[in-house]
Amino acid sequence: MTETLNIFKDWVQDQSRKGSDFVLSKDFRQRSLSEVRTENFPTRKNEEWRYTPLSSVFDRQPSFAAEAEVNPADVEQLTAAFADAHHLVFIDGHFNRTLSDEISVLARDGIAINLLEDLEPGSQDEVERVIKNAKLTDDNIFRHITQGLARTGLFIELQKNIEITKPLHLLFLGTQSGKTTLSNPINVVHLNPNSRLKIIQQFASVTATKALTIPADYFQIDEGAALEIYKLGLESDETDHLSNTYAQLADAGSLNHHQYLFGSRFTRTNTEINFAGSGSEVVLRGIYLGDKSQHLDIRTYVDHAQPNCMSDQHFRGIMNDHSRGVFNGLVLVREHAQKTNAQQSNKNLLLSRDARVDTKPQLEIHADDVKCAHGATIGELDENALFYLQSRGISKQDAALMLTRAFATEITQEVKLDSLREYIQAEIEARLMEAQNFHV
Amino acid sequence: MLSIKNLNVSAEGKTILNGLNLEVNKGEIHAIMGPNGSGKSTLAHVLSGRSGYQVESGSASYNGLDLLDMLPEIRAREGIFLAFQYPIEIPGVNNTSFLKKALNEIRKHRGEEELDAIDFLQLIKKQMQLVEMKEDLLRRPVNQGFSGGEKKRNEILQMAVLDPKLAILDETDSGLDIDALRIVAGGVNKLRSKDNAFVVITHYQRLLDYIVPDFVHVLSDGKIIKSGTKELALELEDRGYDWLTNEPETVA
Repeated sequence: MTETLNIFKDWVQDQSRKGSDFVLSKDFRQRSLSEVRTENFPTRKNEEWRYTPLSSVFDRQPSFAAEAEVNPADVEQLTAAFADAHHLVFIDGHFNRTLSDEISVLARDGIAINLLEDLEPGSQDEVERVIKNAKLTDDNIFRHITQGLARTGLFIELQKNIEITKPLHLLFLGTQSGKTTLSNPINVVHLNPNSRLKIIQQFASVTATKALTIPADYFQIDEGAALEIYKLGLESDETDHLSNTYAQLADAGSLNHHQYLFGSRFTRTNTEINFAGSGSEVVLRGIYLGDKSQHLDIRTYVDHAQPNCMSDQHFRGIMNDHSRGVFNGLVLVREHAQKTNAQQSNKNLLLSRDARVDTKPQLEIHADDVKCAHGATIGELDENALFYLQSRGISKQDAALMLTRAFATEITQEVKLDSLREYIQAEIEARLMEAQNFHV
Repeated sequence: MLSIKNLNVSAEGKTILNGLNLEVNKGEIHAIMGPNGSGKSTLAHVLSGRSGYQVESGSASYNGLDLLDMLPEIRAREGIFLAFQYPIEIPGVNNTSFLKKALNEIRKHRGEEELDAIDFLQLIKKQMQLVEMKEDLLRRPVNQGFSGGEKKRNEILQMAVLDPKLAILDETDSGLDIDALRIVAGGVNKLRSKDNAFVVITHYQRLLDYIVPDFVHVLSDGKIIKSGTKELALELEDRGYDWLTNEPETVA
């Protein structure tokens, strides 16, 4: 294991020496690469990685893929579900101009949407400023690999009072089945005061794609600005996905962050929220749905550093077959953060005897005038409810499907975009139907 | 329609039904009364197929079918309906779509065409008047946040929509005030016909003022110890159950 990881570290340094098409400044990248050199990969001895061994992720060496030909139908099939969105398409770690909407058309007064690779050398300052600003408490080596080798990504900036009404649909598609392809996009969003943006971040694969996907997101949300973001993890079961998301909110900012993680062999998402002003609201929602031997791990870290903020987390796990789910959430309320309202809930449904969930909701409170609550449950389908439905003529399998769907609906009903909500619910339905418990 | 012969049932190693016999023909209403713990609810559960009960011996046939060998959903599709003593709350499952799914499963089983949304809505709105139910309860999750009375009315609404041949009412009167009781009983009375039958399980005679039975049976220690007409219920109201259970021998 250690050996494999060291080979991977060497590979990162080697790539950095050989490559020429990196999108962040040399100084900035060098700092990230030196972190990669000195930082260790987390092991299970690290409390935040206790339930998630990385040995399964690094059993294959990744490589960069060249820009590949892709069947437009594969992409259209995925973009068609969100007809009412602007589409930006990344294939195997490269931005694809042909399949994306014209970026220059999207940009108008007050809206800057730039590919990182289109930024002039020396003009990456604003992007790097947002990244450097991030006060990450829950850091890890993957963020630095992403940055050290960044070859693509987006920088989106909305000026004051600007709103993009249509959502941006960012599609990250893997297509390579031979070697394990590294995809490490960086998305940096800066919302100036009172601006508003909606993003759908979709990670997907064509069948049997092998990939290591390690994206990093940085969101700076200024006074009164609002970001709504939906992450869809739908990659192949030969893909490993490890993401870092960081959001910082000024006064009266708002973030709605949803994660629907159904795909991948291995998934770990880190989401860190920092309240840098007061009166802000953060809503975190998510479902992890696993079958076969999938491993899905959601880590959240919410830092109430300022008073009068609200955070509300609700995550649900549905685990089938031998799959394993982890929820590990920490809410930190600092001494100064009076009138904090922090809620954290995690509920899990085990559909198989061999499935497993580890849940660890944590509150660490240093202020005395706060309203905080957390809770977690792990259970099976309710026998009484199953019987009630059966006693009305509904088969046990259909009843189980209805109850499982209902369990998920309590989260998905909060998706505000109609087409997206229907898409997610259909994905859940399709995946449940495939699982053996619901075979008729 | 229903013929139960010498039925012995246990749960967790304890005998609960102990040689129970009962014949129900179509067009009849049978009341089953008895003290707490006599096996009334167990009878309802065993007939509807709830798990957790062991049939030791005896038989129950329903329209010629071996009832005890059928899955609960097949029993329902064949026309058996249980009105629950404690209806289950099911968050996230919409009351209307649940009932539409149930009805269409039953219709499919009968070889009838499934109802579309419009026809179903017409049917459910008509049947709702039977139990004077508020329309917003249709848009809510099944029984979630319903009052005790609303839950019981929802049971009768389901019964009205699913149109069973044999309905078993398990202490439908428990927890109901007099107005709700009147409404629920009124619903049942409008549904009774020469082609269906009811088994009304109750602890109190009160319900039988509104749903008048053809036969009254007294269940004690897992068997029927006395059968009679509606007058027997009145006598039980006056004298309690002790005079029956204390009699050394009774003819079932």
